[in-house]
Amino acid sequence: MRYILLLCFVIFNLNSADLTLDISKQVDSLPSLVIENSSGVNTTLNKRFLRSLISDMNVLSIFNVDRHSLIVDFDDTDISREARKSNYVLRFKIESLDDSSYRTEIKFFEYNKMVLQKSYTIHKENLYVFVAHAIAYDVNKVMGEESVEWMKNKVIIAKLSARNESEIVITDYTLTYQHTVIKGGLNVFPQWANKAQDAFYYTSLGGFKPTLYRLDTRTGKKRKIISSDGMMICSDVSADGEKLLLTMAPSGQPDIYLYDVRSGRYQRVTKYRGIDVSGQFMDKENIVFISNRMGYPNVFSKKIGAKSVEQMVYYGKNNVACSAHKEYIVYKSRETSNAFSPNTFNLHLISTKTDFIRRLTATGVNEFPRFSEDGSVILFIKNYKNQSSIGVVRLAYNKNYLFPLKMGKIQSLDW
Amino acid sequence: MKKVLLSSAIVAALLFTGCSSKDPSIDATNGAGSGQNANNNANTEAVNATDIMVNENNTADSNEMSMSALESQMQSVYFNFDQFSLSNSMSEKVSDNAALATTKASAYMIKVEGNCDEWGSDEYNYALGLKRANNAKAMLIENGVSSERISMVSYGESNPVCNDKTKECWAENRRVDFKLLP
Repeated sequence: MRYILLLCFVIFNLNSADLTLDISKQVDSLPSLVIENSSGVNTTLNKRFLRSLISDMNVLSIFNVDRHSLIVDFDDTDISREARKSNYVLRFKIESLDDSSYRTEIKFFEYNKMVLQKSYTIHKENLYVFVAHAIAYDVNKVMGEESVEWMKNKVIIAKLSARNESEIVITDYTLTYQHTVIKGGLNVFPQWANKAQDAFYYTSLGGFKPTLYRLDTRTGKKRKIISSDGMMICSDVSADGEKLLLTMAPSGQPDIYLYDVRSGRYQRVTKYRGIDVSGQFMDKENIVFISNRMGYPNVFSKKIGAKSVEQMVYYGKNNVACSAHKEYIVYKSRETSNAFSPNTFNLHLISTKTDFIRRLTATGVNEFPRFSEDGSVILFIKNYKNQSSIGVVRLAYNKNYLFPLKMGKIQSLDW
Repeated sequence: MKKVLLSSAIVAALLFTGCSSKDPSIDATNGAGSGQNANNNANTEAVNATDIMVNENNTADSNEMSMSALESQMQSVYFNFDQFSLSNSMSEKVSDNAALATTKASAYMIKVEGNCDEWGSDEYNYALGLKRANNAKAMLIENGVSSERISMVSYGESNPVCNDKTKECWAENRRVDFKLLP
C-alpha cells in the first residue's frame, strides 16, 4: 500500500503544472523552518532581503518554510517562544556600515541548538540577493544536502525590449539583481566565456554580417571573434574555455563548427545540406546537436571528426533544442502541431542508458534548457500568457520554480 | 560615429570603474558549529558583478534618403508555418525586387533578412529564418543580382512587425525583408 501511495505521489508530481514559490501541502512532511528578523529598522532593503531569503529557502526544497518571519533580538541566546514550534530557525540581521557597505549576520538553529553562525558583507546594496543565495548555500551545506553551488552563479540573458532591440543583462537565477551590460541594437545569444564568468561571447546582428564578439566585463574591452553570412551563434563553450561550438552559415547552410580560441582556427563538425544547429559539448570529443536530417528536427550526437551520427531521441517529432550532462539530455519538444495550442512546447529529460523519459513542464512554451555544471538543475525560459520567466527544475526534488521578468522577453540565457 | 560612441562609453566605464570597487564581493566570515561561536575559515566569495555598459545604438547616415526611398519599393515575401520554400506569388515578388536591384538600386548592397514568428527563440528558429533568406537570395541571383552584393541575416523571432496573438499576425512575421546598404 505504501508503494502504491508513493507511486501516486510521483505520478501526480510529474504531471502537475509548474510549481511557483507557493509550496503546497505536499511538503507538509518536510521539517519546518521559520526566519527571525533582527534587523530592527524596517527598510526597503530589509523587506527585499527577507523576501529573497524566504524564496531561496523554499528553492532548497528541504524545508517547509513559514511565510511569516518573527522579530527578535539577534543576541538572544535562545530562539523565540513562537519559533519553538519549528524544527529549524534562521535568524538574520542586516546593518549598514560606515563605508556604505552592508553586513549581514546569521545564526541557524536546529531544535534550539545553533549549528551555524556566519557574516557576509557586500559593497553595494543591490547585491543583497547574492547574500541570500550564499546563506542558502551554507544552510544547505550544514543540512548535508546535495550542493547548491549553482545558486551563486551569475546568469546572463538577452532580453528583447522592442523590435530589433535587445539588452544583454547580467542577473541571478531569480532575476532579482539585474545589470545591463550591452544596450542598443540587436545582440543575442550571450554565452559565458569561462567558469570565472568574467567575459562572455555574444552575437551582434547590427552589421553587414552576423558577428561574434567577446566582451571582458572587468575591462570593458570588446573583441571581434568571427563573422559569417546568415548565422553566427556561439552555442557552447568547452569546460576549459578553449573551444567554442559555433553555428555558422558561410554558404547559406547552417552547420556546426569547432573554434579554437587560442589559434582562431576552426573546423567544420557537421556537413549536411539541411539544418544542423545548437551544438553542445557532452565531453571534449562528443557533441549533441539539433538536425533535421530525418525530415524533422531532432537530437543527434556525433564524435568530433567522425562521419557517423547517432539519433538520441525517439520521442517527439519536433525536438528543436537540447542540453546535455553526462548521460542525460534535456530537450524541447513540440507537443502538438497546432501552433495555437496553449501547450505547445515542453521539456523532456532522457538518459542515454535507459528508456526513461520524464516530462519536466506542462504548460506554455518552454525552451532554452541548460543544465547546471553538476547536472542537478535545469534552467530554462518559459513564455506563457505574455509573461517571460526563468524556470528552475530541481531534478532530484521534482520541483519547478518560476521567476518572471517584469518587462520584455527573454531571448536566450547562459549560466 | 558609432565607433566614437562605443569608445566613449568604454572609456567612461573604465574611468568610472577605476574610481570605485568594480568587482563587489561578498566577504563571508565563517564562525559555525555546534552552538559555539568561532571565527575561523574566513573566505571571500567573488560576485564579479560589473558596472560596465556598452552602448551600441546605431546612428543614421544623412545621405541615405534616396536609398530609403528605393528600399521602400522592395517587397517583403511571406511563408507558411514552419516552411521556407517560396510560393509562386512570392517568387514573382523576389523577381520584381531583383529587377529593382539591377537597375535603380544597382549602386547598393542588399541585405536579405529572414524572420520567424514567435514560436521559439532557439537556434533552430534562426536557422529557419536563414533558410528563408537563402531561398530568396538564390532567386535574386537567378534573376541577375551578383552574389557579391548580397548578405544575409536571420533575426529569428526578434524582429516582428506585428505583436498580436493571432494567426494573421504570426503570418506577417514569417517573412523575408530586403534592405539596401551603401
